[in-house]
Amino acid sequence: MRKYRFRVIVVAASVLLSMWFLFPTYQDYELSAQKKALSGADSLQFVEQHETEIREYRKKRIKLGLDLQGGMRVVLEVNVVSLIEKLAKNKDDAFAAIIKEVRQQVARSDESPVVLFRGECEKRGVRLSRYYLNLRDTDDDVFLFLEDEAKKAVDRGMQIVRNRVDQYGVSEPSIQKLGGTRIIVELPGVSNEREVQDLVGKTALLEFRLLKEPEVAARVMEGIDKFLASKDSTSTPEDTTNITPEVEKTPEQFAKEHPFFAIAGFTQQGVATVAEENKDKVRRLLDRSDIKRLIPSDMEFLWSAKGQLGQDGKKYFTLYPAKKAAELEGGVITNARATIDPNYNQPIVTMEMNTEGSREWSRITGANINKRIAIVLDQSVFSAPVVRSKITGGHSQIEGMENLEEGKLLEIVLKAGALPAPVDIIEQRSVGPSLGEDSIRKGLLSAGLATLLTILFMVIYYRTGGIVADFAVVFCMLFILGVLAYFGGTLTLPGIAGIILTLAIAVDANVLIYERIREEQETGKTLRAAIDEGYAKAFSAILDSNVTTFITGLILFQFGSGPVQGFALTLIIGVAASMFSAIYITRIFFDIMTDKNQSLVNFG
Amino acid sequence: MRVFGKTTIDFLAYRKVFYFISAALITAGIVSLVVKGLHFGIDFLGGTELVVEFTREVEIGEVRSAMDKAGFGDAEIKTFGSNRDILIRTVKQGAGTTIGDQIREGVATHFKDNPFTVIKEDKIGPKIGAELQRDAYLAVFFSLVAICLYVAFRFKFVYGVGALIALFHDVLVTIGMVSIFDGLTPNLNLEISQNMIAAFLTLVGLSVNDTVVIFDRIRENKKIFRSMGLVELINKSLNETLSRTIITSGTIFVVLIVLFVFGGEVNSGFSFALVVGIITGTYSSIYIASATVVEWNERKARKKAA
Repeated sequence: MRKYRFRVIVVAASVLLSMWFLFPTYQDYELSAQKKALSGADSLQFVEQHETEIREYRKKRIKLGLDLQGGMRVVLEVNVVSLIEKLAKNKDDAFAAIIKEVRQQVARSDESPVVLFRGECEKRGVRLSRYYLNLRDTDDDVFLFLEDEAKKAVDRGMQIVRNRVDQYGVSEPSIQKLGGTRIIVELPGVSNEREVQDLVGKTALLEFRLLKEPEVAARVMEGIDKFLASKDSTSTPEDTTNITPEVEKTPEQFAKEHPFFAIAGFTQQGVATVAEENKDKVRRLLDRSDIKRLIPSDMEFLWSAKGQLGQDGKKYFTLYPAKKAAELEGGVITNARATIDPNYNQPIVTMEMNTEGSREWSRITGANINKRIAIVLDQSVFSAPVVRSKITGGHSQIEGMENLEEGKLLEIVLKAGALPAPVDIIEQRSVGPSLGEDSIRKGLLSAGLATLLTILFMVIYYRTGGIVADFAVVFCMLFILGVLAYFGGTLTLPGIAGIILTLAIAVDANVLIYERIREEQETGKTLRAAIDEGYAKAFSAILDSNVTTFITGLILFQFGSGPVQGFALTLIIGVAASMFSAIYITRIFFDIMTDKNQSLVNFG
Repeated sequence: MRVFGKTTIDFLAYRKVFYFISAALITAGIVSLVVKGLHFGIDFLGGTELVVEFTREVEIGEVRSAMDKAGFGDAEIKTFGSNRDILIRTVKQGAGTTIGDQIREGVATHFKDNPFTVIKEDKIGPKIGAELQRDAYLAVFFSLVAICLYVAFRFKFVYGVGALIALFHDVLVTIGMVSIFDGLTPNLNLEISQNMIAAFLTLVGLSVNDTVVIFDRIRENKKIFRSMGLVELINKSLNETLSRTIITSGTIFVVLIVLFVFGGEVNSGFSFALVVGIITGTYSSIYIASATVVEWNERKARKKAA
């Protein structure tokens, strides 16, 4: 046995590793099965109890494609022509004609709209600086400026969509940039087109909202806290007089007496901080109708868009008590820019407003010195600076960013109010959950049936050889899923088809080897020599045929999109896994068996 | 167990007959392509497509008149798996979900007492459709070229040519069959979608896989039987690999049949193309790929003699 030790270890290690990668998928499956068995309130409680586990396993499991679990995929394209149109100054009839022409060209061409626009201007002998920047600027300058604006518009569009999707609470959304001007949004489990339309298609709303005074906020939160405590303790009434306030309370005790403050820590600035793990819980609380009654009608709680790392290494989100009515809307902003303040070497964001906005702004800031005004995009707070003085002339400066990156984000957000990125939905696919379940059932049924038939056939036709080949098929399946889990891959219906095909390829490799071994045995070779020869001679055929399949897979992955890529991915992984299991693993079985008892080995 | 013992079939003797059969199949396919054409799906045409699941079975004709009334006289309407599931598709384009909403409304007003849910809704802009189409052609083209180059590199140039011709043959035959069989029975929707393109590329992979195994045997026998004539050598190799060819292709065939029957509506076009592909792929390895090598050599010999 000693001489096989290395190979056995390699195989055992790969099997264990695959199982390790697949463990979260299994756990996730178990947890959702348990959750499904519970009803209504119980299942909610179950989710609360296992929140961290569920999140952890979710992250590492094999994801199911939208075709299997239902959901929606939307491809957005930033309408660069509209952007170019919006950015232009001194628009005239000639400009309108150019834009009209470019719009038609864009529909037919793959060229970037900015290039087409420039080409059209040049064709008509119009200088770009007539409409953009300063008259002295060259066409190249303007061209770069427009390209840059187009790029920024895509970033802005992504930020707007991400912000909304985060608030919407979709689990595992995927938002990616595709090429220069496109954004792919995938929302598993979402099937309501209208909501998604709002989610991605609506114009962004940027508002400036005053925060409620800390005293008011404190009063409201205390009210909520007391209300929750009284509700919880109705079953076990407590005599509060017995508790001396001097004694340090244990966290459990505190949580019992202050159910709200235990998860939403109140700060001096009149806001609350909530750890990421409790965010959903607090959100659910604030949504309850009996809690809503405790919040004044002119106030609402808004979340910070981004979390911040606390001292304990956890991510904390801020809960802002804001006024419901906006002081000013973002349409008045004309420009925003993130820079480093040369005097203090601190990141700052400067913001310009139009005349009308400036007038309003000076009134608002003048009346609210030392109060905080939140910058709110689609209901999430990106910053809540304190007003230091009355701002006249519309030129404001926002400080207090941690780094330039944060400043850049604020710049994007402020511009989203000034220049909403015009996006078109160019592709939208939705699969209802019932169709997804149906697809899974049929996919698994056919995969199972096909595998069973193949396994049976192999055993009947090749006897021991067949059994070994069947083991190889099982290992192969395990490896494919393991690798898929490791890379965070997505399993789609075509992906399942890809796996079935790879299993066929794995079987083919063994068929090639066994047929060769049979031929060698017929020439009168000993079993051991026939096995050696069979493996050696079959190898080149297996290699060449697998390489060609591999090439097809790679090309498919490159040029395919969405579901086809899923197929290509499993095919690529499968080819590698099938060669390993069909050649390397089966060989160990035969070597050990021929060593121990030659009569065990039989190729039918 | 053994299905095939040693065989000594003179495969190549009948090759002219099979050229004729291939030519006939391809011609039939081309005629169908010209007359009937291919049925491009929404992926490539753009438009809006809804799959509506009714509570009770409905008549296709009823859905059609509902759509006519709603202003979608050009809409394509067919069943999607069962008679409760109806696919409605139009190439009309509209902003947002307007087209989808109109279709929904049309269905709702007509089938007041038969509640329905939309289980699938796709909307593809015309630009995306054109791009997907281009990418699909590129994918098929590049994989053919890459495979041809690899085979030419691993074997000899003429083998690469043989493999390439065989692949073109397989793709042509399959496209022809897809065109002929599309819509022959109400449940057979063989439209060209992204999944269908994946099927074509798999077919290419499987077909070349089979060809390579035979070429590999020819390459090996050539080294052993140096004095043997090419036709005899190829025949010998074909006979030696016959058992494997039948077993592998047979296994894959069964797998695909299972996928076709049980895999659901979404997979049916995919598995149909592959069922055709595995048959022509197996056959073309012998009568197209290997035969090309023979023809090439005979022509060279004739030239030398002349």
